[in-house]
Amino acid sequence: QNILTVCFSVGYSAVALNHVIDFKEKKQEIIKPVSPSELFPSLPIVQGTSKRIKVLTRLTLVVSDPSHCNLLRSTSANIRLYDIIAVFPKTEKLFHIACTTLDVDLVCINVTEKLPFYFRRPPVNMAIDRGIYFELLYTPAIKDSTMRRYTISNAISLMQICKGKNIVISSAAERPLELRGPYDVANLGLLFGLPEGEAKAAVSTNCRAAMLHGETRKSACGIVYTVKKPRRVEEEETTVPACKKAKTQA
Amino acid sequence: HAALSRRYVLCEVVSEDPRCRQCIEDRALGLAVRDAIARVHGDYGLACCSISFTVKYLNAYTGTVLLRCRKDSYRLLCSSLPFVRYLESRAQRYPCFLNTLHVGGTIRTCQKFLIQYNTTQLLRLLQNCTNEEERQCIQKSLLSCSLTEEQSQSGDEEEDDGTE
Repeated sequence: QNILTVCFSVGYSAVALNHVIDFKEKKQEIIKPVSPSELFPSLPIVQGTSKRIKVLTRLTLVVSDPSHCNLLRSTSANIRLYDIIAVFPKTEKLFHIACTTLDVDLVCINVTEKLPFYFRRPPVNMAIDRGIYFELLYTPAIKDSTMRRYTISNAISLMQICKGKNIVISSAAERPLELRGPYDVANLGLLFGLPEGEAKAAVSTNCRAAMLHGETRKSACGIVYTVKKPRRVEEEETTVPACKKAKTQA
Repeated sequence: HAALSRRYVLCEVVSEDPRCRQCIEDRALGLAVRDAIARVHGDYGLACCSISFTVKYLNAYTGTVLLRCRKDSYRLLCSSLPFVRYLESRAQRYPCFLNTLHVGGTIRTCQKFLIQYNTTQLLRLLQNCTNEEERQCIQKSLLSCSLTEEQSQSGDEEEDDGTE
């Protein structure tokens, strides 16, 4: 809960709480997500606007085998309760499947070790067309020098294929002090090889689009979402909604 | 004159330990930032950024920090700021992080931004006020925030009592 208080004070307008399922361990069941209203009886207001902060629930599936993906295809009721679904493919084949056929919103890119496979253009382009976003984490890079190197090399190799489009940068913060403000995360995007416009989008518009992608998935068919565009005069850092992911505390 | 353009980076120190704010002083902060630049950009980065790097302004009550660097190297500086993880002073380490608020070309633009930012922060504190006395203190501070000719720092007017 502390993490969220810091999030809000630093200017984020939406936060997603992540629940990770790793199929390597036995007996993984998808449980119902913890409802945000149980955790926070009253949500504070976004800085600079009069709307309340959104807290979303998110599920990450770590897949190392094609059979793990069956869970996504089944119409398990619990999966539908999560706002955002992310998949973390561990092999090239699974990366291909995730980009082309799986019904997810985010594909996580490994930042903590050397990629076991190279990115290829066809699945990446298909993912971009389908509206799937690639996620990079930044907290490991802040914590450790070796992780930093892996993060930057993996990120740059992804950029060379996708030209910086459809990237979302999030933290996997387990403690409040592992967070960084939206402006700083956009600067980190520059380090990861993103062009400046894309770096800012990675913290704001891309996250919002991923959220909406999740919403379309929840409803039976696509939806048209109308939104009042924020006035361009105001500073981007405070008004454009940003999305952050944080692991719930046990 | 244009060759000596500088950038002023405004940030705030966010920490959980209230004692961290006490050790916000220019030497500790300068060292922490330089260390982060060296870790991320190596010797080259640190050498580039050091040319005109100073800590221009500090406010220990609000945790506001104004850094100055050359225009050519402000990207190196800004990209290293997320990597500051603690401040060290008197052999004690306090975990914290820096939240970049604004980058400007002159001190005055940063100052204008800071006044606006502090006003919104005070408004938020006002919403969380628990008793009438604190409410009146904050309202008074809000009404007296302005940019006067003597370059008075509005950060000094903020009340930092137990409402944080």
